[in-house]
Amino acid sequence: MDPTPDSPSSRRALLVGLLAWALPGAGHFALGRRGRAAWFAALTCLALLTGLALAGNLHRPVSGQPLTYLATLGAMGMGLVYFVLEVGLGYAGDPTAAGYEYGTAFLLTAGLMNLLLALDAWDIANGRKD
Amino acid sequence: MSHFGLMTLYAFLLGGFFAVLWRRERRDQWRLFWQVFGGLLAGALVLGWLMYLLPPGPPPAGP
Repeated sequence: MDPTPDSPSSRRALLVGLLAWALPGAGHFALGRRGRAAWFAALTCLALLTGLALAGNLHRPVSGQPLTYLATLGAMGMGLVYFVLEVGLGYAGDPTAAGYEYGTAFLLTAGLMNLLLALDAWDIANGRKD
Repeated sequence: MSHFGLMTLYAFLLGGFFAVLWRRERRDQWRLFWQVFGGLLAGALVLGWLMYLLPPGPPPAGP
């Protein structure tokens, strides 16, 4: 049976989900799945670093272009890294770079992968998944 | 890195990610990894050759 929305286990699951979103692999690490956490962190970081090395676009909302909102949500899936890059470092990518489109795909994929990890960690913490 | 190299890296990342996320047994993980990895690579090559059969678009506009 699922825990009630304000039960301690539900709050813990929410915290684990948030932790998983904030740092790739951290949610699974907190749940004791250390081997899987290491794989997830490595694969997500490899996607992220490849995207950055190719100077891909880190999506941000553009008024009048609804799809950019969706893409931004996907890119924000990479958690704190998104805000560090976007706000802290002012990263914008380079549209003239040869690997720009590929880099954009890698960055968006890193965000989407981490979103899936956050949902997976949340499900495990809730007892809905092994 | 070449287009093919980047495509291979992308397929490797997704194959590894979904294998660890969706499977628990090592043997099942390897099977899913090869299915995703091979499917992405082979699918991209097949689609690429199918697009080769399509008529080319108009030439790019000059400066």
